[in-house]
Amino acid sequence: MDFRQFAFRNVVRNRRIYAAFFMASVFSVMVFFLYSMLLFHPSIEDRFVQEIAITGMGAAELVLYVFTLFFLFYSMRAFLQARSKEFGILLHLGMEKRQLQKLIFIETMIIGIASIAAGTVLGYTFSKFFLMIVKEIVLLPALPLYFSWEPFALTVGAFLSLFIIISLIAPVFIRTEQVLELIQKDTSGREAFGYSKHRGYLGLLFLGLSYILAAATSNSVVIGLIFLLPPLATMGTYYFFTDSLSLLLHKVRARRKLYWHHFWLLSISEGVVRLKENARMFFVVTIVSTVAFMSVGALASLTSFASQYREMHPLGLMYKSEPGNAHERQHITQLVNELNRGDFDYALVRFQVLTQHSSFTDQPVNVLKLSNINMLADSFQFPEIYLEKGQAIFLPPTASSYEQLQSRVVETTLKESNVAVEIDGAYPYQLFSSYSMGSNAIILSDADYNKVMASAPYGELTAFSYYAFNIPKWQETKEIGLLIQYNESIIPGASNQLPYTFENPGLNYSVIRTTFSLLLFIGLLLAAVFFLAAGSFIYFRLYTSLERDRKQFDVLRRMGITDREFKKIVNQQLIPQFFFPWGVAFVHSSFAFLSLQVIWDALAEISIVKELAMVLAGFTLMQILYFYLIRWRYLAHTKAPV
Amino acid sequence: MDTQPIVKLNEVTRIYEGKVMHRALNHLDLEVEQGEFVAIMGPSGSGKTTLLNLLSTIDVPTYGRILIDGVEPEALHHNELALFRRRKFGFVFQDINLLHMLTVEENLVLPLTLDNHPLEEMERRVNELAERLDLTEILDRRPDELSGGQAQRTAIGRALIHKPKIILADEPTGNLDSKSAKDVLELLNQINETERTTIIMVTHDPIAASYCDRVVFIKDGAFFNEIYKDERRQTFFQRILNVLSLLGGHTHGLSSVRLP
Repeated sequence: MDFRQFAFRNVVRNRRIYAAFFMASVFSVMVFFLYSMLLFHPSIEDRFVQEIAITGMGAAELVLYVFTLFFLFYSMRAFLQARSKEFGILLHLGMEKRQLQKLIFIETMIIGIASIAAGTVLGYTFSKFFLMIVKEIVLLPALPLYFSWEPFALTVGAFLSLFIIISLIAPVFIRTEQVLELIQKDTSGREAFGYSKHRGYLGLLFLGLSYILAAATSNSVVIGLIFLLPPLATMGTYYFFTDSLSLLLHKVRARRKLYWHHFWLLSISEGVVRLKENARMFFVVTIVSTVAFMSVGALASLTSFASQYREMHPLGLMYKSEPGNAHERQHITQLVNELNRGDFDYALVRFQVLTQHSSFTDQPVNVLKLSNINMLADSFQFPEIYLEKGQAIFLPPTASSYEQLQSRVVETTLKESNVAVEIDGAYPYQLFSSYSMGSNAIILSDADYNKVMASAPYGELTAFSYYAFNIPKWQETKEIGLLIQYNESIIPGASNQLPYTFENPGLNYSVIRTTFSLLLFIGLLLAAVFFLAAGSFIYFRLYTSLERDRKQFDVLRRMGITDREFKKIVNQQLIPQFFFPWGVAFVHSSFAFLSLQVIWDALAEISIVKELAMVLAGFTLMQILYFYLIRWRYLAHTKAPV
Repeated sequence: MDTQPIVKLNEVTRIYEGKVMHRALNHLDLEVEQGEFVAIMGPSGSGKTTLLNLLSTIDVPTYGRILIDGVEPEALHHNELALFRRRKFGFVFQDINLLHMLTVEENLVLPLTLDNHPLEEMERRVNELAERLDLTEILDRRPDELSGGQAQRTAIGRALIHKPKIILADEPTGNLDSKSAKDVLELLNQINETERTTIIMVTHDPIAASYCDRVVFIKDGAFFNEIYKDERRQTFFQRILNVLSLLGGHTHGLSSVRLP
């Protein structure tokens, strides 16, 4: 058996320790490879959406790389420390320090190369599926599977460099001076019972403060808090796990009535030790999970923005022409032709919006004609509205302003034409995007409208003409009117002075939707990697304490513990480890979303509660499944004879 | 009822199946009376540990019958068996096996909490026992802050607190210095005398065995010999050594001539 074989067998025989770590690494490589597949895809070139795809994937790859670096760094250190006794024996037998370093290097590289190979192969296997999903999201005609050396080279290069870095750093983690110390080292913590009251209370204070601030944010301070809260909460979390929890548990211990009751004695005292030993790990898991929740939650809320887009933009296309626009006729003809060519069903209503001043407010008011409104409403299958001569209603600029205007009654005279109307209530349906008819608009009966129109020479009162296209298949119109938009964009800075505006919600929507869905998809994959990594930490910690646990359970079994009691004890010990860090992360992100909701309220009238509930529920389910999986393995191991 | 032995083994055989079939116990008969202090000796591999596992009901014989306090453990359901163990037995181990995250006091009280005794009673019993075992000063310490003797006294306290009928001890002095070993053995002896608790102790050490009422020797899983104590421990010790030398095999005690 030569040296390399020795290293190889070490890895193979320690496979149980390495299992979860290996799984997380493989998954990380696989996701990285999938991103690369998209990054180098030959049929993705130079279009806006694809640009986002590439930027997003690129950013995700970078995040993944950095995260994996930290993950490997942390895991390797824990692995090597757990094996310090073994290394002590090797040194005792006369192995040189240099040889030991070489051994660790080879071992790490074996795992590294195996996970790179497995990850890439798995990645390539799933890439067809992955590309299909992306194709659906990006709405591309085709995104075929391809074979090229680039994604392979990038993935292998990136991770190989990563593992080499880790392999070179890893031996530093074991101090080789004191052989005896290594051999005798008891992996169970000896200073497991000390804690600082100071830091304990500080942790509670920090967390409390950040929660209160997050819950009480208002629009004006939210930007400042974005910079203040994360560091505060992070510090608070750290102290919370290292000291505050011990402090709290210590308080429970002082109350015997509670503490000396059934298995609480075992569970609480065991909890204190585990907590102390794993405080840093819990901290890392909490922060990682919080970041995962937050990013997925934020992205999901963006998706919710996209789904509410339709309500805010009911029309398929709109063209607004200021007086004196020479292109008006030509553009409309062009749009109609394009729609006909594309075989679209559509309803076109032209609004000639007149401007008047109201005697009531002295402000300009835009005047629309009832029959035009009814015509458009008809195409949406909204019921018609009737107005008598002398009656008028408000046209609410936004959906939410309807409530306010609904019960308002105003008697006014339109100054220029001297038409007296009573404005009573508001138009109940949302036909236009917000503010497209100005902030102050009313609908007149046809008779009154004609009277206003006739009060001045034709065209003099016209504020603008508004062409509303109602197109049921509004999502498919993204190719329509590209020429008009193209004209807009080639004269830089000129769009403000152009005598017309053209909007295509279908195109905008598809861009927004695609972008957000793609980002969400990327984010979910990232979160899954984080999630697996966090789980692998926990699994590994459990595994290293398995020997000790087994001995303890052996004592308990002799003492006489029924199977049900045994399961209960294991549950009471495992559940906090699994769900506690994660529960803290849960609370953290809930409060963070409270702040986020403030930002969203300011940007658009959108509630993100539903999306977030779904995201959090999804994670809960995953975590529960993971818990049962690990518990099953753990029970099997601890029940095995010593 | 009194004449009925508290432990009765009848033709007990235990065979471990595996790549190599191994007969750990072979037609072993053993009776232990209520209130007796019995040592079980034998060379390594003679089946001592197997016997102790059978007695503590975590293992079952391949053939033969075991009766403990009139109950046949094999006939009990899994859960009943756990409760049976919890109430009838106290265990003392060689590597002491205190739960390292509990204080001395908590280690003592552990068996009582499992059965949900009222708090006042638990406190009373802990204090009583701590007084007797001289643990009062160190009740708040953790196992890794104890000397070997203190730790083993704590373990004995844990085995006693629920007033078991039988104490099973596996090399209780194996890891102790001679002074602590003596203390522990005298403590066991005293418990045996005052409470009439039956004690069955597996040991390698002829000195430890010389504290007992009777020593049973087994070899290759079968009964070899037994001797009863006489007036002087010194002569009893000498007789134990004689049997051990007949027994052959490796016993730690042979080389040692330390006598208190």
